[in-house]
Amino acid sequence: MGMEILGLLGLSSVFGLIGLVLAGWMAWRIVEKSGLPGWAGLGAILLTLTGIGTIVPLILLWIFAFMRWPRDEIASAAPGASARPLSPTALPPPPAALADRRAWRLSGLSAGGPVALSMDGTQPTYLLTGATAQQANELSVPDPTVGQPHARLFVSGGRLGLEDLGTPGGTRIDGARLLPEHGPRDISAARVVHVGTVELALSRA
Amino acid sequence: MDPISWLLGLGSLLVFGIVVVHLLAALVLIIPTWRICTRAGFSGALSLFHLVPLIGPFIVMGVLAFSDWPNGEAPPGKR
Repeated sequence: MGMEILGLLGLSSVFGLIGLVLAGWMAWRIVEKSGLPGWAGLGAILLTLTGIGTIVPLILLWIFAFMRWPRDEIASAAPGASARPLSPTALPPPPAALADRRAWRLSGLSAGGPVALSMDGTQPTYLLTGATAQQANELSVPDPTVGQPHARLFVSGGRLGLEDLGTPGGTRIDGARLLPEHGPRDISAARVVHVGTVELALSRA
Repeated sequence: MDPISWLLGLGSLLVFGIVVVHLLAALVLIIPTWRICTRAGFSGALSLFHLVPLIGPFIVMGVLAFSDWPNGEAPPGKR
């Protein structure tokens, strides 16, 4: 009987150890994805081994959930991202027009083959769509992950803007997700735009 | 009251108490996890896995840790 109890305790210790290692590893990854150092997540999990028990990790979980993540700061500081004004008097100045007026070019590879889109500014706005282009201002990216339409592009003052139209495939600017509620973003300094799973490199023609 | 009924009543009360405590403990985890999931771009309902005893929190953490966040992640160089 005594041996059985000891064996059960040993088994539960093994499961406990495996659970602790798994939880620490996953916490490391989650915290790292938010932009914080991964060791902070591991440390929070390891705190459960100490005398302060689970209450401190629980408090840390609440803080982590409601704090500002460095990932969000990186996304808002991304090229073209407009900072939220603190007050009406703190509105940032409008972006200056660029001297370079060459056409913008988006190129990549979609499911339907190579894509090379040119925006020379003859149209003020362009509609990016997964369907075949029907009008002069429509740019086709034939791919099932690209919405119909997917996004809107703006050319003004030599700058290029991008607005997501809320399709499931999503839009990313240099890896940062662009949501419809973000509105149009200046992507003149961006390098790569993802529409759905299609990667498009931004350059000047 | 006969002892069997008394024991059954006590057992039911204990089970009810355990369920209530479990739900309250899960709620304390569900609220922050719901926010983390939505900020990451997943459905907040994913956090309801905390209601599953023992393995539920591991499922939520596993999804958050090993899948790409729809709302984007911090780039590797910035971590």
